[in-house]
Amino acid sequence: MILVIGGFASGKRTYVKEVLGYTDEDMTDQAIDERRVVYNAQNMAMGDPEAIDKTIEELCRKDVVIACEIGLGIIPLDKNERMLREAAGRMTNRLAKRADKVIRMVCGIPLVLKG
Amino acid sequence: MMVLITGGSGSGKSTFAEGVMMRFAKPYYYVATMLPYGEEAHRRIERHRRIRAGKGFSTIERGTDLTGVEFPYGKGAVILECVGTLLANEMFEEDGAGKDAEEAVISGIMHLKDEASDLVIVTNEVGSDGYAYGEETTEYMKILGRINIRLAKMADAAIEVSGSQPIFLKGAIR
Repeated sequence: MILVIGGFASGKRTYVKEVLGYTDEDMTDQAIDERRVVYNAQNMAMGDPEAIDKTIEELCRKDVVIACEIGLGIIPLDKNERMLREAAGRMTNRLAKRADKVIRMVCGIPLVLKG
Repeated sequence: MMVLITGGSGSGKSTFAEGVMMRFAKPYYYVATMLPYGEEAHRRIERHRRIRAGKGFSTIERGTDLTGVEFPYGKGAVILECVGTLLANEMFEEDGAGKDAEEAVISGIMHLKDEASDLVIVTNEVGSDGYAYGEETTEYMKILGRINIRLAKMADAAIEVSGSQPIFLKGAIR
């Protein structure tokens, strides 16, 4: 599995299409179905630990997982928002450990963090 | 050596920073700046304690004025976690330095650097969510950005952690 991370609109999906050769039809939005690429995976990080473990197992069987980095701002006053960004970060770390390759997009430029 | 480690929430920077500490000689000191207010802070502190458990850290809890920190078991490797919280305490807590917060943070860290054989500093990236905040928060973001730049200049190595992966911005860890 290749994990692609980066901020909002940093070029993650464009990279997956232009460089890795996938199309929009291959991509699904924060869901597990037959498609090989999942984006917005950061939104799949909340829930009970067992469900998250299962989601991570399923994501690791995909070709490509795309997750927004959402922890790089002021820590929100709202508790749920705080929990979400923390959970999203932790899930991304677990995916990164399992991934064959980790790419971080900055200004449309891919930085290879792993692999 | 002095190592600066930055990253966002949940990036894995604490775990990475504590791994870096293991390269240095004991004794290990953990300077914790988070004040134990409320259940969430307690959980967070618990989590960091769990990560450190069995690694031989002495924890020193200090929310403001790090120039007063003393190390009871002699010179050793020190980890400071984290600059973002320290600055918030200095700016907004009653016993903080208020308008002199930036210099208070820097001089506190300089004191740790003088007293430590090695220093690992964990800071925070807060400038990339694109929101416009009120005056106080904007000031906080500006000062934290300046402090991070000053610390990175002084550091032998500066690393951003993202998705638990280190990105070397400056230098290397020996």
